[in-house]
Amino acid sequence: MYDVCIIGSGAGGAPIAYELANAGFQVVVLEKGENYTEKDFNKDELAVTRRDMFTPPLSEQKHIINEYAQDGTFTRYDGEKSGWNFWNGSLVGGSSNLMSGYFHRLKPNDFKLKSVYGEIAGANVVDWAISYEELEPFYDKVEKIVGVSGKVVKHKHQEPRSSLNFPYPELQTNGVTKWFDKACEVLGYEPMPTPRAVLSQDALKRRGCYYSNFCGSYGCASGAKGSARAALLQKCEAKIITDAFVYRLDSDDKRVKKAYYYTKLGFAHAIEAKIFVLAAQAIESSRLLLNSKNKFFPQGLANSSGEVGKNLIFSAGGSGQGRFVFEKLTKTQQKELMQTGVFFNRSLQDWYEYEAQGKKLKGGTIDFLFEHQNIIPRVKREMYDENGKLLWGEALANKIHKTLTTSRVLTFEVFNDWLPTDNCSVSVDAKEKDKYGVPVGVINLNGHPHDLEVGEYLAKKAVKVLERMGAVEISYNISSAPPPNLVAGGCRFGEDAKTSVLDKNCKAHDLENLYVTDASFMPTGGSVPYTWTIYANSFRVAEVIKKELRS
Amino acid sequence: MKNKLSRRNFLKAGFLSSSVMVMSGCSLFSITTPQETLRVLQDDLFPKAKALGINTSSYLHIVFHHSRISKAEKEYLKNGVKWLNEEAVKLHKTTYTKLLSTQREHVLHNFAKTDWGEDYLANVMNYLFEAMLGDPIYGGNTKEAGWKWLQFEGGQPRPKERYV
Repeated sequence: MYDVCIIGSGAGGAPIAYELANAGFQVVVLEKGENYTEKDFNKDELAVTRRDMFTPPLSEQKHIINEYAQDGTFTRYDGEKSGWNFWNGSLVGGSSNLMSGYFHRLKPNDFKLKSVYGEIAGANVVDWAISYEELEPFYDKVEKIVGVSGKVVKHKHQEPRSSLNFPYPELQTNGVTKWFDKACEVLGYEPMPTPRAVLSQDALKRRGCYYSNFCGSYGCASGAKGSARAALLQKCEAKIITDAFVYRLDSDDKRVKKAYYYTKLGFAHAIEAKIFVLAAQAIESSRLLLNSKNKFFPQGLANSSGEVGKNLIFSAGGSGQGRFVFEKLTKTQQKELMQTGVFFNRSLQDWYEYEAQGKKLKGGTIDFLFEHQNIIPRVKREMYDENGKLLWGEALANKIHKTLTTSRVLTFEVFNDWLPTDNCSVSVDAKEKDKYGVPVGVINLNGHPHDLEVGEYLAKKAVKVLERMGAVEISYNISSAPPPNLVAGGCRFGEDAKTSVLDKNCKAHDLENLYVTDASFMPTGGSVPYTWTIYANSFRVAEVIKKELRS
Repeated sequence: MKNKLSRRNFLKAGFLSSSVMVMSGCSLFSITTPQETLRVLQDDLFPKAKALGINTSSYLHIVFHHSRISKAEKEYLKNGVKWLNEEAVKLHKTTYTKLLSTQREHVLHNFAKTDWGEDYLANVMNYLFEAMLGDPIYGGNTKEAGWKWLQFEGGQPRPKERYV
């Protein structure tokens, strides 16, 4: 029997494996996907981003998506037929292998959204069960163990830090960041270098970034990116079993006894352990609990509250862009603009909190970055003329060549809170099954109108920067479309077992030996990408489990 | 082993060279193949590729047999060949590949006036650009000619084998 069985090898599971295995405990990690190392990763655009080699085919594994309108009606989509894909990365280390590693901490007020900003009609906002001060030491730990590069600059919403600066210096940046900083200075904004979970130099027995030009969506061939695999799983002796899709957890009324998994050939296996840690990413973790109902838990494992799957959240906001064209630039500026490889790495958090109509509102973060270097989508976007008609032949060739060789697009991403609502949740489908014969997850989607108002406010600030920088063709899109890679909730933590699934240590209220350590625990998501917080919380829970195993 | 490979190659060739029945009204007008039509169509849609020495139509063998491209998508590619040829027959009384270039341009303009025709041409160009701008290991983008034309450098490291 293992001491700990972890389901899922991504950012939620790997810190537990790292801490417990390095403390001498017997740890096994069950991962549905395959294992890749730095030697296996390459920058094959066709394989990685057009044929989705790191996620399951929708013909074999899909979701059912119910998109809710504000009047409570919904439209049902079959993931396979619609192509609506919520998978993020089935491989050892999970989607952290493929992240861009934009690392922002939550801020103290994110832990007490309801207390600070008040209730919002139609939203199920609650305070967290822990404070920023309780999580801060673990944010700090992630900086040092996973590796975060950057430079702390003073701004009005800078969160308290126990370390003065990041352990690794800023990554190299493109010359256009100077234009950005100057524009912000004129506008009175406070730009900051975006902290990144990418090593800027050799450290932690990993190689520093070699500026491949292809970071987000791709596996890192140097190990610089702080994926759960490179930073943690490759640094411990936890046993990793790949091709292991966990379809059921078996329990009595107090304890989980076994995790059952299928291989892709359909063989079933079981793992016994003292403690089980679920970290299969928010949607799949709720799905597994709901699919594991038994006579003790007829609504689903750990679901006496009926809260499993409820209050699913994403990151609200959207994105925008502006184009810089050679005609408006000096020769030196043209050269700066077209310098590839190095990063842009600029963020604004001036409006993490703001006032509107005399009321204090929670705002968010704006990250700026150059358009992804993937060349095929950049070329395909030129296939239409200004009236939306398809071009071909010489006219198309000329348009493509001019656009790609004499201009470049700077984009921005807005991150604000996706308010939890009754119609945003996970359930399982009564009929549809995946290739393993297991009921597929149903994703109920609903965006709160308040999310759009905040997103619009932030996007307009970003537009001002692009205008001041001299960009043309500026546009943005704020919507309730959920970013599949920024998902949380479904197994809220809290003090009250009637209204939450997990206690403050992310242990199920209903069971003595089940923890959930992916982003499922988050009752609200803050206004930043989640990965750093998932890592930090998982390190925090690892301390709890370590004490329990030693007691 | 040799026989198995031969069999596989035969099947690969088979899909692209399978028969497409071109109808004129309710009557069978002619029979063509996806390979024949798509080769000429891709040259018409983006002659720059050929000028750069890139053979985009050979990449269609990969597309038609890729494990990650759905059967429905492959059928759609094949059906479009039939629709395009029927447009050619309607306008110029013969199949697409037998027309003069000015006549083919006329067919394309008419074909693109419908949403489905325009979508189909865009889809053909989608694979054309994949061939032209994907990693050279897939057989298009010869000597990185597509990348060089756009002053683009692929990322490193490059793939050592095709993902199919």
